[in-house]
Amino acid sequence: MNEDKSNDIFIFPKWTGVLRPAVAIGALGGLLYATVVVAFGFSPLATDVGYAPVQPVPYSHALHVGQLGMDCRYCHTGVEEAANALIPPSQTCMNCHKAVRANSEKLIPVFESYSTGMPVEWIRVHDLPDYVYFNHSAHVRRGVGCVSCHGRIDTMEVVSQQKPLSMGWCLECHRKPEQHLRPVEFVFQLDWVPEEDQLALGTRLRETHDINPPQDCNTCHR
Amino acid sequence: MPPMKHDRETGLTYWRSLDELAQTPEFQEAVQREFPGDDWDQLPPATRRQFLKVMGASLAMAGLTACRWPKEEIVPFAHRPEGRTPGVPEHFATSMELGGAALGMVVTSFDGRPIKAEGNRLHPDSLGALTAIAQADILQLYDPDRSRRLLLREGGQQYVKGWSDFEAAAAEHFAGDGTGVAVLAGSSSSPTRAMVRDRFLEAHPNAGWYEYEPISRDNEREGTRLVFGRAFRVHPKLDEAGVVACFDADPLFDHPSSLRLAREFAAARHPESGIGARLYVAESSYSLTGVRADHRVAVPSSRVPVVLARVAHLLVAEHHIELPAAAAGYAGEAGQEISENEVHFAELLAADLAKFRGGGAILVGPRQEPAVHALAAVLNQVLDSTVGYTTDPDPDRPSHIEAIGELAAAMASGSVQTLLVLGGNPAYDAPADLRFGELLAKVPLSIHLSLYDDETSQRCIWHLPRAHGLEVWGDGAAWDGTLTMRQPLIAPLYDGRTATEVVAFAAGSKPTSGYELVRENLRSSAPAADFEGFWRRALHDGTVEGTAWDAVQPRLNPGRLAVAVDGLRALLDAGLPSADRPEVVVTADSRIWDGRFANNGWLQELPDALTKVTWDNALLMSPATARELEITDGEIAAVESGGVTVEVPTFVLPGQARSSMTLALGYGRSAAGQVGNGVGADAYQLRTARAPHVVSGATVRGTGRSYHLATTQDHFAIDTAGFKERNRRVGELVREAPLNAYLANPEVFHEHEHHPPLISLWKDQEYEGEQWGMAIDLNTCIGCNACVVACQAENNIPVVGREQVLNQREMQWIRIDRYFKTEPGLGSAEIDNADVVFQPMTCVHCENAPCEQVCPVAATQHTTDGLNAMVYNRCVGTRYCSNNCPLKVRRFNFFNYHKDPADTTKMQFNPEVTVRARGVMEKCTFCVQRIEAVRIGARNDNRPIADGEILPACAQTCPTKAITFGNLNDPKSSVSKLREEKRSYATLAELNIRPRAHYLGRLSNRADGAGPQGHGTPHGEAESHGKETA
Repeated sequence: MNEDKSNDIFIFPKWTGVLRPAVAIGALGGLLYATVVVAFGFSPLATDVGYAPVQPVPYSHALHVGQLGMDCRYCHTGVEEAANALIPPSQTCMNCHKAVRANSEKLIPVFESYSTGMPVEWIRVHDLPDYVYFNHSAHVRRGVGCVSCHGRIDTMEVVSQQKPLSMGWCLECHRKPEQHLRPVEFVFQLDWVPEEDQLALGTRLRETHDINPPQDCNTCHR
Repeated sequence: MPPMKHDRETGLTYWRSLDELAQTPEFQEAVQREFPGDDWDQLPPATRRQFLKVMGASLAMAGLTACRWPKEEIVPFAHRPEGRTPGVPEHFATSMELGGAALGMVVTSFDGRPIKAEGNRLHPDSLGALTAIAQADILQLYDPDRSRRLLLREGGQQYVKGWSDFEAAAAEHFAGDGTGVAVLAGSSSSPTRAMVRDRFLEAHPNAGWYEYEPISRDNEREGTRLVFGRAFRVHPKLDEAGVVACFDADPLFDHPSSLRLAREFAAARHPESGIGARLYVAESSYSLTGVRADHRVAVPSSRVPVVLARVAHLLVAEHHIELPAAAAGYAGEAGQEISENEVHFAELLAADLAKFRGGGAILVGPRQEPAVHALAAVLNQVLDSTVGYTTDPDPDRPSHIEAIGELAAAMASGSVQTLLVLGGNPAYDAPADLRFGELLAKVPLSIHLSLYDDETSQRCIWHLPRAHGLEVWGDGAAWDGTLTMRQPLIAPLYDGRTATEVVAFAAGSKPTSGYELVRENLRSSAPAADFEGFWRRALHDGTVEGTAWDAVQPRLNPGRLAVAVDGLRALLDAGLPSADRPEVVVTADSRIWDGRFANNGWLQELPDALTKVTWDNALLMSPATARELEITDGEIAAVESGGVTVEVPTFVLPGQARSSMTLALGYGRSAAGQVGNGVGADAYQLRTARAPHVVSGATVRGTGRSYHLATTQDHFAIDTAGFKERNRRVGELVREAPLNAYLANPEVFHEHEHHPPLISLWKDQEYEGEQWGMAIDLNTCIGCNACVVACQAENNIPVVGREQVLNQREMQWIRIDRYFKTEPGLGSAEIDNADVVFQPMTCVHCENAPCEQVCPVAATQHTTDGLNAMVYNRCVGTRYCSNNCPLKVRRFNFFNYHKDPADTTKMQFNPEVTVRARGVMEKCTFCVQRIEAVRIGARNDNRPIADGEILPACAQTCPTKAITFGNLNDPKSSVSKLREEKRSYATLAELNIRPRAHYLGRLSNRADGAGPQGHGTPHGEAESHGKETA
C-alpha cells in the first residue's frame, strides 16, 4: 500500500469538527458587532454634542455677552471678513482688564500672555476635520445667525458644542437654508426670534438675496 | 538606437520618442499597461507572518479611531499685528537674484510662512510671470539639509561655533591694509553690495576682490567691448521684430529677461495683431527658442560662426548692405566648408534681414566667442535692429573666467593668506584645470559663506551659514537696471547672514545689519524730503519706477574692429567636428542651473523640456552620431578630454547637431544634500578656463553598460485609436498650420475631424451660473515648465524620487508633452532633424467625463460650475478612473509620499489644499481653492466675479499668457472669445468627452519659397475629406 498522501495536508483533520459551533458563534457575534458599531456610529452620542472642555481661563460668555451685552464681533473680528472667526489676542482682553478685575487670579494666564507675548492656549470646541474648508464670512453675510450653529452662547458659562457638526447636518441647511436665514442685521443677536413664521421669512430672504447654497463636494472639500 | 525600418509602417506624424516611432515592444507595453510599476513579481515577497503583522496593526488602528480625535488648541497672538487677520494670506513684493540680475516677485505668506512665489507685474523682467527656478527657490528656504550652524574645521576635526567666535577669530585678519586678503564673490546687481564692497576696498586697499559666476553673459559683454570700445549690456526687443535670428541663443528661456522676451515674442506671433517675428535659429542642440523656430538648422556650436559669417557675406554681396570700412573683413569670407542646408538657411535669413531692415534682431548665445557677438553687434548696428544697449554697470571688471584665473594664480603663489568666499561653490564649479579645491588647502584662513555645507565649505577652515533670499533685506537691479527691492518674508531660520552683512563686518564699518545698509544706500538715491514714504512705496511695489538705466546709442569703434575680425577668422578656420573628435557643449541645466539648485526636489523631478529626463543629466547626441559611434540610447558613454574621463548615460535626441554633444552642468554633486548627492555626472570636470563652453576634440565611446534614465517622454502616452488610421481620420492632439494657410482658410484646424454623430448616453447637465473653462494656446506655449512648478507649489504635489518616476508614478498634475514631428514615411535623415512641438496637458475637465462614469464610489463628480471634482475622502483607490481617462492626466498616490515631512518642509504646504495620503487619486482641480476664495469674496461684496479675477496657478505664472481661464457662460469673457476663434479645437473630440479646456492651434511663419520641409501642410491627404458627419 503506497497510497499518495501528499494531498492530505489539504484535508481538515477530524478533531477540528469540535470547532464548528465556534464558527457559528463567530459569525453571529460579528453580525452583532457590526450592528452595534454602525448604530453607535450614527448616533448623536458619537458626534460630540455637549463637548465642553475646560479652558485655561474660565471665560464666561454668559457674563460678557448675556449680561454685559458685548457684541460677538468685539472679539471675533474675522467673522465677517474671513474664514476664521478668530479667537481674540490677549491684547483684546486687556483693553478692559487692565482696569477691571486687574487682580483676579482667574485671569493670570491672560496677564502672563500679555506681558510675555506667549499665547493663551485655548481649547478648540467646534473642531471640524482638517479636510473641511468652512468659511464664516460666507455664512454670516448671507444671514445665517451665530445661534444656528453655536446655540445660545450668551447663556453659556462654559461653551459647549450644541450641534453635531456632521456633514449630514451641514447639508440639511445647504438644502433648505430658509430654516435658518434671518435679516443680516440680526445675525449677531442670539436671542432674536422672528415675528412671523421662520419658513415664510426664510423663503422670502432666500429669494431677495438669491441664496442658493452649493451642495458640490468642492464647496467644502478641496 | 532602435531600428528605423518601421517608420514607414507606423506612419506617425507626431511621436513621443524614437521608441514610439519604431513601435518597440517596450513602448507598446508601456501604452497598454496603465500602471507599469504594478508588477507583482517585482515586489518583495511578503511572508504570511508579515501579512498577519500588518493586519494586526490595522485592527489596532481601527480600535483607536473610535475615540475622539485629539484635542486641538487655538493659540492666538498675544498682541496681534495691526491689519493682520490670521488665516488670510498676505502678499509681499520681494526679489530673487540669479547670475547678477534681480527678478521681482510677489510672495504669498500664510500666517508668517512664505508658501508660494509669483511674478511681480510691476517688474520689467517679470511682468507677473516667474521662471520655474525662481518659483522653486522657496523649497530651498525650507530645505532640511540647509546648513544650520557655523563650523570650524581644524586638524581633521570639526567644531560647532557661533558668530561671535567667528568674529573674534577673523577680526585680526581683517585688521590691516588688506595685504594677503582676497574676496571671491558671486555676481550681484545689488547697489548696496557695491557700496559695501567699496567700503571694504577703501578699508583694505591692498585686498583683492574677484567675482565669479560659472554661467554668465560675459562673452556678449566682451563682444560689445570689441566693437564699441567699452562694455555694454544688450537688450533685445522682440515685439517689434519682423525677423529674429538666433545663433546658439535662447532668448525665450536662457536670458535674464527671458520672461519679458517670451511675452514680447508671443505678442509678435499673434496671428491678427502681431508683426510676425519670423524666427531663424542655428544651434547645436534644441533650445526652447529652437523649438519655436520657423527655420532651424542644427549646426555644431563651433560652426555657428560660419553660418553667421555667411549671412553677413550674403547681406553685403546680394543685398547691398554696406558694412563700415573697418568691418569689411567680416563679409569677405565665403570660402568655408558649409553644407547646403546651412547655405539655404543663410540665404533665407539674409533676404529677410534685408527686407525687415529696421525691424530685425540678430541674437548670439552666451556660449559663442566674443568675436561672434562682435559680428552680430556690427550687423545689428548696420541693419538698425531692434536691439538696445545700456552701459554695463561695472564696465571695468574682468570677465568671470579671468577673475577666477587670477585668484587661482594668486593662491598658487601663496600670496593669499585670507580668503573670504561669499556664496558660490568654486571647489565644485570653477574651471577644472585651475584645481581650485586643491588650492584652497594653500590658504591659511579660508572662509566660506554658503547656504549648504557644500564641496567648498568642506575644504575651507570656516563655514558660515548664509541666509536665504527670502529671509533677508536687500536690493538689486533688473537686467535693464530698474531698482528692485528685497524684503524678508520670515526671520532667518538658522541664524544665517547675507554676503553684504559679512562684507560689512570684514570692512570693519558700521552698520552691519542688512536693513540699515539697504536703507542707507537707498537714501543716496531717494528724494530727501520724504524718505519714509519713498521707502514704503519701494517696498510695496518691489521696484522703483523710472530707475532703469538710460539707453545709449553706441558707435562702432573702427580701431578695435580689426581685432574682432581676426578673432572671427580664427574661429571660421577651426575644423569641422567629427564623430571621432566631437565637440562637447557644456551648458547650464534647464532646471538646477549651475548646480546650486541640485538639492531641490521640485527641480530635480521636473522633466527637462526636450529630453523629459528627470533626476539626471545625459549626454545628448544626434541619432546619426550615435550610429557612427555605435552607441545605443541609454548606454553609458565615456567622455574623455584633456586626460579627464566623465562617464554619463547617452540620450539620443533628434534635432541635435551632428558630431556635437551637449552635457548639462550642475550634476554629480557630492555635498549638495540628501536630494542632490550623486545625481548625474559632473560636467565641470571637462570645463577648462580656456574652453568653458565648447570642449572640442573630445573622444566619446560607449562602455557597453546601460543605464535607465528616468525620462517621462513615453509616460502617460495617449493611445488614440489605431496608429495607422489616426492620421487620416481623426484630428491630431497637436494641430499646426502655416500662418498663410490659416489666413487663407481658417478652417484648416478642423479638416480632419471625421467621426460619427456624437450622442451621449447620459443626460446633459444644465448650467445656470458660472461654468469654468480654459483655453491653452499652443501658438504661444514655449514649453518652459513654469506652470508645472507653479502647480506643484500651489497644490502640495509630492516629489516621488527617481525610482518612482521610472515606474511612471510622477505626480505633477501638468505635464508638457513633447512631440517630435516628421512627415510620415520619411527616412532617417529627416528623423534626425525632426521638429518639436509642446502641448501642456492637464485635466481638461470633460463635460462627458469617462472617469466619472466608472468610479464605483462617486469620488469624482461634476459640480454645478462644471468642474470635474475629486473627493479624496471618498476615493478607495480602484484606479478605474485613471484607466478610463483618455488623456492620462490622473495621478495616483502609490505611497504616502508626504509621510513624516521635516518640520520645515511642512511649512511650505498650502493650507488651502488637502495634503493627500496613500491610496488616493488626484488630478488638476482648476485650482478650486482659488475659485472658492474669489467666489466667496465676490458674493460677500454682492458683485459678479470679474473676468480674469480667478487665475489658476498655471495661468498666473505663464510668461506668454498661453493659458486663459474664465467663465464659459459669459460670452464676453476672454476664454469664451478664445473658444470662438477658428484655431480653437478640442482634443479627442471623436470620443465625445467634450473637454472644458480647449487648445488653440499652433502657427508657423515660414518664409515664402522655403519648401514644406518640417512645418508644412497640416496633416494627412486631401482625398480623405468629404465624409464629415459631425
